Amino acid sequence: MAAPDPNERCGQASQVSSRRSFIFLGCGALLGLLMAGYSLFTARGTSTLVVPPEDVALVNQQPLSRSDYLQQLQTLFGVNLAHATREQRQKVMNDMIREELFVQRGRELDVASTDPEVRAALVNAVELEIAADAVTAQPTERQLQDYYRSHHERYASEGIMVLRDYVFAPGESAAAAAAAEALKLAAPTPALLARLHASDSGRVNGEEFYFAAKIHLGEPLFEIARHLADGEVSAAIAEADAIHVLYMFQNKKPAAFDFATARDQVLTDYRSDAIGHLRTGDEAFLRKRANVLIADDAR
Amino acid sequence: MRFTLLLAASACIMAAVLSYLSGRESRLLRADPDSIPKNSAVMAFALSRGEPLFEMHCATCHGAQGEGDPRRGVPALDDGDWLYGTGQVSDIEQVAKYGIRSYHRRAWNLAIMPAYATPRPSARDGRIPSLAPGDIRDLVEFLFRAQTRTADAAAAARGAVVFAGVGGCYDCHAADAKGDSAIGAPDLTDRITLYGDGSRESLAMSIGYGRHGMCPAWADRIEPVGIREVAVFVYSLSRTRGHAGIAIRAVAPGAG
Repeated sequence: MAAPDPNERCGQASQVSSRRSFIFLGCGALLGLLMAGYSLFTARGTSTLVVPPEDVALVNQQPLSRSDYLQQLQTLFGVNLAHATREQRQKVMNDMIREELFVQRGRELDVASTDPEVRAALVNAVELEIAADAVTAQPTERQLQDYYRSHHERYASEGIMVLRDYVFAPGESAAAAAAAEALKLAAPTPALLARLHASDSGRVNGEEFYFAAKIHLGEPLFEIARHLADGEVSAAIAEADAIHVLYMFQNKKPAAFDFATARDQVLTDYRSDAIGHLRTGDEAFLRKRANVLIADDAR
Repeated sequence: MRFTLLLAASACIMAAVLSYLSGRESRLLRADPDSIPKNSAVMAFALSRGEPLFEMHCATCHGAQGEGDPRRGVPALDDGDWLYGTGQVSDIEQVAKYGIRSYHRRAWNLAIMPAYATPRPSARDGRIPSLAPGDIRDLVEFLFRAQTRTADAAAAARGAVVFAGVGGCYDCHAADAKGDSAIGAPDLTDRITLYGDGSRESLAMSIGYGRHGMCPAWADRIEPVGIREVAVFVYSLSRTRGHAGIAIRAVAPGAG
């Protein structure tokens, strides 16, 4: 009996066998094809026949997010997925598909080129996108403290003042000057004010923040008032309407916030600046890569 | 030959593991988020993967255990008290995905505490007026009374008028000052303060200079499955201390 041809069978593991090689090659190729096929039809960004688990539907390969679907259910019907009826789910699904179809149609029609509202919304959306990028980066405490130090003048309480604005007719400058002198010696009482013929302008009443006093008094009078100490009286100040004498009961000047107190505002300002820089940078980049031609008469 | 067999076996094992993980991710994503806590297998899978993501993206502000920081206005996530929504996984997921005042279109953007001690308290709504210093003091007394803390009765009564009138506070915080979690307006009667220690000074700071903390939107930075995993992990944190945590953080009666 003739000995078996080693090439006819797979032979021993230690021996070279062309048949075995072909079998492994075929298995490898088949496995590779299966994996490639699976990836091709399920990977994101490619045409797929399977709805990814994070989405509820694909409309022309555009995904409709599952979490948006759940949110919509909650917003429209106030229910979560477990308690939603079939009709409710269907309604939300139809609404979302309809919206997506119309958005896609809008892109085909290029409505952004003609509809000012769409254009404004796009500009706004891109600006928000830039801002969202900026706020995701969390600044370190060191960066915030440096920012606070370089902008410390922004972080202070609003000053508070309690004062009275006494007025005299434009021709009564002598009476106004006398009243100013008298008020330096004694606090204003109804009797004293009656004797001095001083009347309250009514512009300020009680305790006011600096910004409110500035609006009520006007800038020139406020500038004088904010330098007055508690119990101090201004000189007679001639204005177009009358002669004013200011009596400061209490002047609580703005106090700087320490870093801990101001941190929230510092963080907000830091982010606002970061957003501003990023937007400027993005605009510069867009201008740089754009091909903008301007008509001669419009230059 | 051995090498070839080893390679083939490794490839098969890897494919099986990937397929298994992919299947679990799919189950997590397709599950009703609010029912995940009832499914221990899905819950365990989400927790094991959510914790590292939380440490990487959230712990910087919220702390490793989600303890928050009232000095910085960072909310505690472990106390069962929710400013936005009711603390369900779906609510947490929405915040993680789109953020709070994050400049994302779908973020929670409605509630911004005006700065009443400034000329223009709200950049968004010019109709909101500034308040006088006395009004702010009265409002603080009103809040103290609402929290059943010792308060100046006359000032609190005046504060109630400001709250329901010129201050427009009722508009967000509701007429009973119990807030509105649908817009993120805090309950002012419960002694839990996001900023500061609940003292008169810190309340006056919040009223006078406003509050507008933010949480970034992670929708474009973390995969949907990762966001859900983080949401489940935060949900589990909130059950760590639960309502006992609220008691710990609350200001002691009569304090301030």
